[in-house]
Amino acid sequence: MKNKLDFIQNLDKDIKEAVTENFYNQDNELVLKINLKDLKKICLYFFKDLKFYLLSAFAVDESKNDGNKFKIRYIFSHSSIDLFIIIETETSGTFPSLSEEIPALNWYEREMKDLFGLIPEGHPDPRPLMLFPENYPQDIQNMHPLRKDYPFNFRPEFKKYGEYNYNKDVKGVGVFNILVGPVHAGIIEPGHFRFSMSGEPILQLEIRHFWKHRGIEKIAEGKTIYEALSLAEKISGDHCVAHSLAFLAAAEKILNIKIPENVLYIRTIYAELERLLCNINDFAWLFQDAGYSFGAQETFVLKEDIMELNKYLSGSRFNKGILSLGGINTCGNIDNLRKNVLKEKLSDFSKRYLNLKKMLLNSSTIGERFEETGYINKETILDLCALGFAARASGVPSDTRKEHPYLIYDKLHFNSKVLKNRDVFARLLIRFYDIEESFSIITQCLNELPAEDINKAGGEYADNNVNNTGDNISKNKSKNDRCIIAKNDKIDAAQQLSTDSLRSWALGYCESQRGNIIHFVKLDEKSRISRWKIRDPSFHNWQLIEFAVIGDIIADFPIVNKSLNLSYAGNDL
Amino acid sequence: MFNIIKTRIKEGIKTKKINIEDIKKDNIVIFNEELKNKLLNKSKNKNFTNNISVRVVDSGSCNACLHEMSALTNPYYDMERFGFKFVAAPKHADVLMVAGCVARNMYSALLKTYENIPHPKFVVAIGDCAMNGGVFKDSYATLGGIQDKLTVDILIKGCPPEPIDILAGLLLAFGKSAK
Repeated sequence: MKNKLDFIQNLDKDIKEAVTENFYNQDNELVLKINLKDLKKICLYFFKDLKFYLLSAFAVDESKNDGNKFKIRYIFSHSSIDLFIIIETETSGTFPSLSEEIPALNWYEREMKDLFGLIPEGHPDPRPLMLFPENYPQDIQNMHPLRKDYPFNFRPEFKKYGEYNYNKDVKGVGVFNILVGPVHAGIIEPGHFRFSMSGEPILQLEIRHFWKHRGIEKIAEGKTIYEALSLAEKISGDHCVAHSLAFLAAAEKILNIKIPENVLYIRTIYAELERLLCNINDFAWLFQDAGYSFGAQETFVLKEDIMELNKYLSGSRFNKGILSLGGINTCGNIDNLRKNVLKEKLSDFSKRYLNLKKMLLNSSTIGERFEETGYINKETILDLCALGFAARASGVPSDTRKEHPYLIYDKLHFNSKVLKNRDVFARLLIRFYDIEESFSIITQCLNELPAEDINKAGGEYADNNVNNTGDNISKNKSKNDRCIIAKNDKIDAAQQLSTDSLRSWALGYCESQRGNIIHFVKLDEKSRISRWKIRDPSFHNWQLIEFAVIGDIIADFPIVNKSLNLSYAGNDL
Repeated sequence: MFNIIKTRIKEGIKTKKINIEDIKKDNIVIFNEELKNKLLNKSKNKNFTNNISVRVVDSGSCNACLHEMSALTNPYYDMERFGFKFVAAPKHADVLMVAGCVARNMYSALLKTYENIPHPKFVVAIGDCAMNGGVFKDSYATLGGIQDKLTVDILIKGCPPEPIDILAGLLLAFGKSAK
């Protein structure tokens, strides 16, 4: 199974026969076209027999005048081979549900039902997912926004249409329910939780999400790549670099744009800075939720310092607006001055971080709260195809940087640690390893950053004044100056798009702090977005929380929640 | 822990200084006439002086605004030194802070929160998408911001607005001048 090219030869005979057509869309994207009737057999073969995990599943509307036609694609991957298996099938209205066998498909199938009107036959829980029964008309035939015949700005009248039904009730003497949300007590994003309790322990938790469903995928249709890039930053604000990277990776693959090497290094530095920021933020909130204010405030100070560093480097506290098609905008360039500041600051941060880590590990109250809380079993992780540090804390390797190296991660030395303890404390320890790896990766990148003559490459760069005091660099710069550090300075996307239909779509992926992000981007002949499927790791990992809290007391819920610290915005889209 | 305390005693944390005369007003728009007059006449706000409770509702933001709002409580900005605090219940609040483009699914929750805040109350819109939905204004799943739904008193622009701008906006409208 190690060899990519022979992969198809080594499959089982009846699987090979079921595949009607196979080809490589990109180097590592193997497309298997199959008939709808074989879907169950083939998906289960990859999921159960070959132990592949699901990365994404989505429909694309390819209807022409002669009736409805939808393509459904399932993306599978494995941790030991750099290959994406894309199972492609066609349907006109229904498809067999696989949620019973592959629980990770549960939300995907309900999503397709809501947004495309495709019916998953035999789905165990066919309630609406994103289009809430209260707010969206359920009886209208064409209330399926991602279909091409749905007008992009059509809004049904706002009124109360129906009632929400919970999935399962827990019944018994002394059982009561606690309802939380969607508006929470703190400064948290909206989500609804129903705890069924008997005394202190939680018997069942039901989560209800998609309160913030904004319809990003529909808005993006018909937009240019540059417009979509600014949308990519608004998918999940704290992960704006990761989402832009994933989107750009797909777009650059389709348009066949070569990226200069120093841009790859700079992109890696920003990706790691974001990972560092998010990990430190989670670390601070875990302190806060355990009631350890001193540690929390001290860590918030560290977080604020990292954000100030971001602002110094790129002009935005979240590094928004630095990436561009084929390169980096000038505001994000790392020159010698910024390189030295970055090095200096990082050594300071790493010292302060080590102090905080020592303090946390020596505190018995923290240990008491975190150890043996929020167990997530390996089986749950595998069934729900959980990603990122949540999987790695339960003994399942999951790190796109290792499995499908992108940017320059194959040249860097870093470990992706896997622990077997399964609890909140294990997830905190994994964060510690990640933070230390981020420090080391950024240092490696800075040491090896190729000193390319940028003035030659990007025409406008030389005109840009760099303010030596540093503080006001950002304010003086317009972030929209289209100044790319790339050989092909002005990329005319429309010209580069190959007419070959094979190349009209690609997968873009990257490892965010929470786990793998994967984007499917399909361009039309004018090189505008035709379909954009965004998958944030939160979409897989949210379902873990229903299992993680069972048996814990309700006071531990904030800790379990923060130990996963998932994005509501990236999940709801 | 000892190390940290030692450094803190030696260096301290420099809280961001903010002076009401020097505040850059580019990113702050005040719609409320009463608050505007107060600024012009330099008189104090009768209703709230140095004690403002803020309730935050995220109606569909990308969570960057939330990061910036929660940064207001960290030692650098420390908004409690001016008497502003975040509260858990709308019944305790004076100000409703809204971030996000008003997703269709969040609208009734937003209205309920607003109704439960006792009079007199103010609405502060945070971020570029809060007023009219920003890039999301045409989407089927949003209702295009709060501008025609609630009376907005203050708008703080930015994507996301920086904490210092949010603090400055609150100070301009409700606060006494900074120390």
